[in-house]
Amino acid sequence: MSKIRLGLPSKGRLKDESIRMFASKNLNIKNTNSRNYFFNFEESDNFDGIFLHAREIIERLNDGTLDAGVSGLDLLMELPDEYQNNIKILKKLDFGFADLVIAVPNDWLDVQNIADLEEVSFEFKEKYNRRMRVATKYSKLTEDFLLSRGVTEFKIVGSLGATESYPFTGSAELITDITSTGSTLKENNLRIISDGKILKSSACLFVSKKFKGKELDIFK
Amino acid sequence: MSKALINKKNKENISKKILNIFKKKGFNFIDLDIVIDTDLLAQRSGEAFKKYALNFKDKSGKEISLRPDLTIATAIQYIQSKKKGTEKLSYFGSAFRLNKKRDLNVFDQIGCEIINSKSSPEYLILSTILSVFQKLKKTEIVLNDLGLFQNLINSLNLPQRWKLRLIRHYSRKEYFDELLKRLDTNYDLDNEKIKIDYDRLEELKKMDIDKVIGGRTVEEIIERFQKKIKDPRDNFNGSRSVKIIKDFLKLKVPLGKSGNVIKKFVEKNNLKIKNINQTLSKFNNLNKKLGSKQDIIFDAKFGRETQYYTGLAFSICKQNKELARGGEYNNLIKTLGGKQTPAFGAAINLNQLI
Repeated sequence: MSKIRLGLPSKGRLKDESIRMFASKNLNIKNTNSRNYFFNFEESDNFDGIFLHAREIIERLNDGTLDAGVSGLDLLMELPDEYQNNIKILKKLDFGFADLVIAVPNDWLDVQNIADLEEVSFEFKEKYNRRMRVATKYSKLTEDFLLSRGVTEFKIVGSLGATESYPFTGSAELITDITSTGSTLKENNLRIISDGKILKSSACLFVSKKFKGKELDIFK
Repeated sequence: MSKALINKKNKENISKKILNIFKKKGFNFIDLDIVIDTDLLAQRSGEAFKKYALNFKDKSGKEISLRPDLTIATAIQYIQSKKKGTEKLSYFGSAFRLNKKRDLNVFDQIGCEIINSKSSPEYLILSTILSVFQKLKKTEIVLNDLGLFQNLINSLNLPQRWKLRLIRHYSRKEYFDELLKRLDTNYDLDNEKIKIDYDRLEELKKMDIDKVIGGRTVEEIIERFQKKIKDPRDNFNGSRSVKIIKDFLKLKVPLGKSGNVIKKFVEKNNLKIKNINQTLSKFNNLNKKLGSKQDIIFDAKFGRETQYYTGLAFSICKQNKELARGGEYNNLIKTLGGKQTPAFGAAINLNQLI
């Protein structure tokens, strides 16, 4: 029987929580150290493990070089629909909670909800002859959500980090970002609009749709 | 000879004949660019169009799109030519669009457009297109005036923000239906939050009104907030307006009867619709000139999916196949960067004709 190729996040809380979750099912990693990417479990020879970046885990599940892996739901949903055709969510896990939300400058007190945003975006275009810019790391999810809510007059600005700063540096007018408590947004003088939750995300145990084994059913 | 090659030859032969008809009617052929600056398209219809256009990046990172529509390509060429007088133009070529599954559909179109006409161009365009189909029997024209819908909305007892919203999203059927549901329940303002924001408004008023916050000035934010709270919130009857809109969109009658039907509808709902007489007289004229040879149907919801139509829009069909489609697009040239210019045109779908 071929071994299950398993990918776990290589750093941070996602890594720690993933290791803890497997340990709770009596699967303890035996040969981990900070420099070694590969691991096995003390209690089972059925797995060949590898620590990878959470985004990389999704890529490898999609191309079939991993059978299972832990990563964020947001990362899967942001990729083209084809990825969802190849990857199945085996279980939504109780860690890595975060929401992808729309946030506007706190002082935009006339903007409470998407309907306001839609109206302001049209007015902005009429006044300044350009579209409002939305800074985000999640361009696909943001674009789909805004279009589905009637906000068509916007332009995505790709961000690699410190997205919260964009509205105050002139690089964008509003943002979408992932947040778990909302405190970073608040500290940066941003406010989540009332119906602006794009995605409720958490860590998930994903399996490749080609994987037919039953070994991971203990997590269901 | 392969079927595809025969098809291609057929298309070329037919297009030559059609272009000849257009030429005799005074339309000059123009060769249109196959790629369009994506920013120009987005400027017109926002990000939404990207869903159905095929987009690329050139070596400098600039986004370009294969033309999704030949009318847009004609309008762009008109702007670039910097001509000022009336232009009667014809074209032939392919338009490229993605469907919902993101598969590419290629439409071979041949069409004619009148830009910046001083007189009403609808009869000339309609009769030109109809002359192409004169040998075909049982063709039918479906017709509407999208300006009528806009004027209907403006006649309703609704807050201004709702009127704008309904007009802006009329072309997006699914979202428009969702808006009607929301209008029925008056959902879009959170009165609790407004109370909190009243306090914050006082703070904002103390700030420099020219200060820019997220691309908007303090003055702009205060102005919109005050406008919003003055706009009637709970004391308008959304359901009544929703019913009127839904009933209006169901109107579908022979053009000859449309005048009476629309007048009755207006009376029944006690509406005062701007320019209603001009619209009905336009319908009456077209019916007099074309109605004896041709079935013409007025359909109040026709043409809504083409975002740039502003007035009269029509389709010529035979046995449920759409052979040609056209309409008035008076704002397109302006939104693409030109001056406000009236325009009217139509395109024949060669794929359906062959």
